[in-house]
Amino acid sequence: MNGKTEDKVLAELASLYERRGYMRYRPGCFEDYSLYLDNIDFLISKNVITFSGAEGRLLALRPDITLSLVSHMQCDGQTRKLFYTEKVYRRADGVGEFRDINQTGVEVVGDIDRACETEVAQLILDTLSMVSRNCMLDISHMGYTEGMMAALNIPDDQKQFVYACLRGKNVHDFIQLKNLCGLDESAVSTFAGIAEIGGDAASAILKVKQCVLNQEMAAAADELEQLIFSLSETGYKDNIAINFSIANNADYYNGLIFNGYIDGVPKRVLSGGRYDKLLQKLGKTGGAIGFALYLGELERFFKPVGNAVDVLILYDDDSMLEALKSGKHMADGGRAVRISRTVPEDIRYGKIVDMRSKSK
Amino acid sequence: MIGIALPKGRLGEKVYSMLAGAGYGCDAYESGSRKLIFSDEQGGVKYFWVKPADVAVYVERGAADVGVAGKDVLEENNPDVYELADLGMGRCRMCVAAKSDWRDDTSRTLRVATKFVNVAKRYYAKLGRDIEIIKLNGSIELAPILGMSDVIVDIVETGTTLKENDLKVFAEIFQISARLIVNKASYKFKNAQISGLTQKLISEVKK
Repeated sequence: MNGKTEDKVLAELASLYERRGYMRYRPGCFEDYSLYLDNIDFLISKNVITFSGAEGRLLALRPDITLSLVSHMQCDGQTRKLFYTEKVYRRADGVGEFRDINQTGVEVVGDIDRACETEVAQLILDTLSMVSRNCMLDISHMGYTEGMMAALNIPDDQKQFVYACLRGKNVHDFIQLKNLCGLDESAVSTFAGIAEIGGDAASAILKVKQCVLNQEMAAAADELEQLIFSLSETGYKDNIAINFSIANNADYYNGLIFNGYIDGVPKRVLSGGRYDKLLQKLGKTGGAIGFALYLGELERFFKPVGNAVDVLILYDDDSMLEALKSGKHMADGGRAVRISRTVPEDIRYGKIVDMRSKSK
Repeated sequence: MIGIALPKGRLGEKVYSMLAGAGYGCDAYESGSRKLIFSDEQGGVKYFWVKPADVAVYVERGAADVGVAGKDVLEENNPDVYELADLGMGRCRMCVAAKSDWRDDTSRTLRVATKFVNVAKRYYAKLGRDIEIIKLNGSIELAPILGMSDVIVDIVETGTTLKENDLKVFAEIFQISARLIVNKASYKFKNAQISGLTQKLISEVKK
């Protein structure tokens, strides 16, 4: 057992966010379906539960918090720092039936400067570390990848393909574009160099700078370098990596992009980034950055296969009081204890303490 | 320890030989054995024999760190994995085929028989063609012969089966070969081992 439970981690995270000056945000349970339909590519799961509202409006159970939060946000020149812990309703893994999944996250909307971006990145690492010290944060930058697209003259209709290659660190399929788009060998080796960037962030940033081809990429590389420096200074040097395979949808995201991983969990457990373009799409001004921790992916991490209780105490009429006392004593000491008259067949248990008179 | 999912069958045996040549051999390996798992504690590798179509599932869900899957399976299921190398084995093509005298009647919905539903849907969506998918699990070539479908979307290796059944290829959708795939989380937490294995395997491919 890693000793942590979902409830405990959520409580600790809420306390952490409040101590950093973030205010709790409580959204409504449902929204107009059109909000999600108009921004479907922003959602990680495209399926939404819909139903008719009292006045015939088509409503949806929220599959995501960020869209709700941003759509209701007043853009009055104030910078708002918010966090939430709410249920979202979506198909886990994109297949199967809908589930309610706990999600916690942080959003900052308003004037976003470097300090704000760094603070959010620190909060991401604090969040991941709260779940497990054995965590990794992948950092990318949309300015860098979009700059690469421009520098390599990738036509608009091939951008999706190139992003797919980047997501898979797939250089062999990117080579197909050589003939299709008239790319030369140097374009292929630049792409290969960028796709392969990974490992420790300090040496990766040197490769990032070596692959710069234009102003947009240079500005992004500079931003990444400063962020890596700041995060390394706060003790997270070994938990960060630069990885351009995590590019998000360029229609919504700009700037920094984050994906978080926990050792022992096969998929990313956290994602986030700078999404000023979503604000613009919703007719709002200013910048926005945030992240979400997906508790659904962590279910088995918090509840690994193991014993339901550490100790099973068996009692009879004569030993009932003694069993209750021992059970309380052990539970107070941090062990999970169940008292029972007989050995239950439906649970796993560690040690048996038999207090029944016939066993004495 | 790196967990490697191998596709059962000839391709898997070839991939294993390549990995053994790269220094990832296993004393417990026996060709043709029915054992599903064999490992080499000292070499730090554990192999699993998996149905070829399931390799990507095992890798995406982290049951295996690394696997070898055909491009056909990857295009059909679009798993969230890294695709680090083209192993150049098991080469074939994903094609549209039909009876050799077939001519497309664009005024009618095209009936497409296939095992690769997503590949077919994506291909015809790109062409703006209205289709009806007929999902089959095998002997796809039979569908146009019996008039159940107009065309098939299927893997073509040598083209002999098509020829023997008076069918021919009308379009190639993409080329297929075996790819080395890696779980995204494993790539972070076992980076040195997985990068080492990838580099050695790429060297083997180039030999």
